Amino acid sequence: MIEQRWKKWVYFYIPLAVFIVGTLFPFYWMAITAFRPDEELYRSWRAVNNTPFWTLQPTLAHFQDLLAKTTFPRWLWNTFFIAVASTGISLFCGLLAGYALARLKFPMAGALGTGIFVTYLVPPTLLFIPLADIIRNFRLGNTPWALILTYPTFLVPFCTWLLMGYFKTIPRELEECARIDGATRFGAMLRIIFPIAVPGILSAGIFAFTLSWNEFIYALIFLSSPERKTVPVGVVSELIRGDIYFWGQLMAGALLGSVPVALVYSFFVEYYVTGLTGSVKG
Amino acid sequence: MANHVLEDAGSAAQLEVALPHPATSKPARFERFLENERFLAFILLAPAVILLSVFIAYPFVMGVWLSLSSTSVGIPGQFVGIRNFVKAWNDSIFQQTLRNTFVYTFWATLFKLTLGMWLALLLNRHFRGKRIVRASMLLPFIIPTVLSTFAWRWMFDPTFSVLNWVLYRGGFIMTKLPFLSDGAWALWCAIIVNTWRGMPFFAITLLAGLQTINPDLHEAASLDGAGAWHRFWHVTWPLLKPVTIVVVVFSIIQTFSDFQLIYVLTGGGPANSTHLLATYAYQLGVAAGLLGEGAAISLFMFPVLLVVVWIQLRYLRRLEGV
Amino acid sequence: MAKPEHDDLSTLNAVVNRRDFLRVTGAVGVVAAAGGLEGILAAHRAPAYAQGTKLHMVRWVDFIPEADVELKRQMPEASKALGAEVTLETINANDLQPRITAAIQSGSGADIFMFQYNWAQLYANSVVDVSDVANEIAKAEGGFYDVYTPSAKVGARWLAVPHSIIGNAVAYRRSWLKEVGATEYPKTWDEARKVFSQLKKKGKPYGQTLGHTFGDAPTFAYPVLWNFGGAETDASGKKVVINSKGAVESVKFMQAFWKEACDEGGLAWDDTNNNRAFHAGEISASLNGASIYIVAKRQKDKIKDEKGEPMYQDIDHAGLLPAGPAGQFPLYLNHSHAVMKYSKNQKLAKDFLRWLHKKETFEKWFVVNEGYSVAATTVWEKHSMWDKIDKPLQVFRTAARKTRIFGHAGPSTAKATEAFSKYIIVDMYANAVSGKMSAEAAVKWAEGELKKIYG
Repeated sequence: MIEQRWKKWVYFYIPLAVFIVGTLFPFYWMAITAFRPDEELYRSWRAVNNTPFWTLQPTLAHFQDLLAKTTFPRWLWNTFFIAVASTGISLFCGLLAGYALARLKFPMAGALGTGIFVTYLVPPTLLFIPLADIIRNFRLGNTPWALILTYPTFLVPFCTWLLMGYFKTIPRELEECARIDGATRFGAMLRIIFPIAVPGILSAGIFAFTLSWNEFIYALIFLSSPERKTVPVGVVSELIRGDIYFWGQLMAGALLGSVPVALVYSFFVEYYVTGLTGSVKG
Repeated sequence: MANHVLEDAGSAAQLEVALPHPATSKPARFERFLENERFLAFILLAPAVILLSVFIAYPFVMGVWLSLSSTSVGIPGQFVGIRNFVKAWNDSIFQQTLRNTFVYTFWATLFKLTLGMWLALLLNRHFRGKRIVRASMLLPFIIPTVLSTFAWRWMFDPTFSVLNWVLYRGGFIMTKLPFLSDGAWALWCAIIVNTWRGMPFFAITLLAGLQTINPDLHEAASLDGAGAWHRFWHVTWPLLKPVTIVVVVFSIIQTFSDFQLIYVLTGGGPANSTHLLATYAYQLGVAAGLLGEGAAISLFMFPVLLVVVWIQLRYLRRLEGV
Repeated sequence: MAKPEHDDLSTLNAVVNRRDFLRVTGAVGVVAAAGGLEGILAAHRAPAYAQGTKLHMVRWVDFIPEADVELKRQMPEASKALGAEVTLETINANDLQPRITAAIQSGSGADIFMFQYNWAQLYANSVVDVSDVANEIAKAEGGFYDVYTPSAKVGARWLAVPHSIIGNAVAYRRSWLKEVGATEYPKTWDEARKVFSQLKKKGKPYGQTLGHTFGDAPTFAYPVLWNFGGAETDASGKKVVINSKGAVESVKFMQAFWKEACDEGGLAWDDTNNNRAFHAGEISASLNGASIYIVAKRQKDKIKDEKGEPMYQDIDHAGLLPAGPAGQFPLYLNHSHAVMKYSKNQKLAKDFLRWLHKKETFEKWFVVNEGYSVAATTVWEKHSMWDKIDKPLQVFRTAARKTRIFGHAGPSTAKATEAFSKYIIVDMYANAVSGKMSAEAAVKWAEGELKKIYG
């Protein structure tokens, strides 16, 4: 008994604790910076009262400044809207294409799959230059649609392939049973296969959403009005002034920009993890 | 957002279900079309293909053209063949950049995979506070890269590093460690930051994969007296393989063409020791205006990534064959 | 983004009561301007532009928030004066180039972009000749500083309208230098080495970045090279002459200086690190804009020295890096505005730039800057603002006179920009001081890289 408990500590609790600390420490660091009054920032490294890990006079000043002096809530909403829309589009495309590539037999299937994948390999660093041309031709400049339509270029390939992977792990028999029961191919796809693939859909969605949420260069190039900007671009262009960073506000922006998403994710993660255990294989 | 799509799909489904079944009416003909695999495939693939060809085909062709031309910003170039590639290949900064990129990608991906897998296995067990732990593990992935990298840069700050402070106070070091100011250290720091950022996604995706594995299989293996490692290797791993491969390949692509992280953390310095292909291409293309050379350097990624994808495809097909 | 109440800096206004200040300088200014820009503007009375015409200008986010506030305040005035809607967008300095590149390549974007350094040369094909505007301003205001000729002029044509120069000076702690017997900032590099070696032994090193940053690293590395007599090319701009005795000497000197006198973490610094290190009392001196001083003064109850006194009182500036055997030449960040060729409102854009440089308009912006940005023309050296501001800021008054631009001794072409943006000169020093290369090898490496660019 004692031996078992000892084992559980070594193989489970300690590694998990290390993971938690390692993953969350930078996050904690951002939080403490956001609450730290400025004078502590300018304290010497060797100062006796240097307390990097906590602060004795936590302040909300940075959050107030962020909300009062920038259009942060607006950026948050823009980012959210753009991320949701582009993720929606990408999942829709990816779901259908992934199913077709995983399940259906048709000429050129392999080539098409590879083709979709290959677009993901296109290095984005300089892609924004020709892309700016397209945005201009479609007259999308300085609208959220410039981003909603360009983000899928790197999201669709990923969603397609990840979902394809999940579809392949679902036994064909399930679908065949449904078809014997009279379901159409399309109906079987919608009502049998897609629900089973929900964990995959969610993880593709999380990935896509996060990539859109983080994207910087397209958002920088294609949007120009201050009130249309996204969180990363807005924060960087307002809170880094020449050679001075507004550290507290930068980190406050990072926190406020990620906590709502974390809450939404916590719901999804739990949903797909508990709801489907053991329902597929076997 | 997934729900949103599912709802869309759901309403389509109802519509379809509501159709009368006898094969006489018009809609039924459409339904019969959908029974045709080729036609269905065509319909299903259309949105993705249209979107990608509108928004990526032209930029891609343009990118290839740029790499083969002497274009610089505002000056239309002429076709110069592979001269840009040759020039880059002989450039000592490029050579260093290429080496950095391989080192960076290899180690970061390896760390992300092993740690991500480990974390997924841990999170797959039942424990108190499971829900909150699982959600919080995703945090590094959610914070905009630009901002979290600023935080990391501060933690590695040559003067104020909190890590140095801890080690110093703990009596482990006498002088500050040169986290970002020594070339070799700086590259490893970048690898650590990348791992920190990317690992949660590995963990959560693999966790989703683990959920689809029937616990009975494990139980059976346990009854057979298999150890934990044995069970992982012979039961879990084979079933996780397809998903793992997809995630690894995408991670390789992402890491290989990483830009933001390096741009913010070191700008490629000190003395180019952390430059990656993407940051160097950006520097040449955007800061120096040499669009042709910049495009050539970013396209150096392409063949490498193609090889990776090819290996993956072969491997996936073999798995299916088995 | 327009948020007129950018208050965390209002303390600055309290230091010098701005209204009084404007009244005095305004009075002097108008007298000086009579016949100058007034005349120009009179000749170009705001033409009415078609209804709904819009003009979009993109500038960096100014380090002095009040400066942006002032500019944004001016936009409605400009709109009224010009009869067209003028909008100002400010973005992070690092993000200007991608925006410009995308705009040029797609043929759409802002009408006016702020240019840094010699970007007019880099984007020469994509901007409009603005000689008319530039010449009018030069004529009215006693001519531009010399650095603008290689930066913004091609042949006889001005490709961008010079706007302002950010002086980079050495900020140092007066009392700390005194501790080691230096009553003023060292005049030569040899003296500097002695002073800062002693200070480093006391844990108060010199702070300098040699990282990949657009500000503090190149504005240090290039002047060191020049002060020791080194140069990238000869006067023709075709022959690479970096492998010279002067350059090798300068690298050797830096190797020693780095080890004996500098905070060795500087290899990883960006433009912001030295500000924070200075304010925390970790370094005794650093090459920087006026921001170290200005921030210390604004936040005087937060930034204190070891005695608990406001630190800004102990900060002084040396306008130039110490002299080397060849002299003393700075590299300052210069700014100008370019009208883009694809713009449909070129005439309006030019009129707007004329309006922006109108004495009364420019003056308001200039005064708010308190010396952080100095004007592009020499006449502003005489402005009464210089007598009002704190003594440490007065070094910027004439600082721009001797400034050079990269590419020296040749013209500052796109090739010089390439060398600059590849950080070849910065990395020559970084390679040597990190011990990765010997001084000779580092110079040879730089020569090889430069030859590939110029060859």
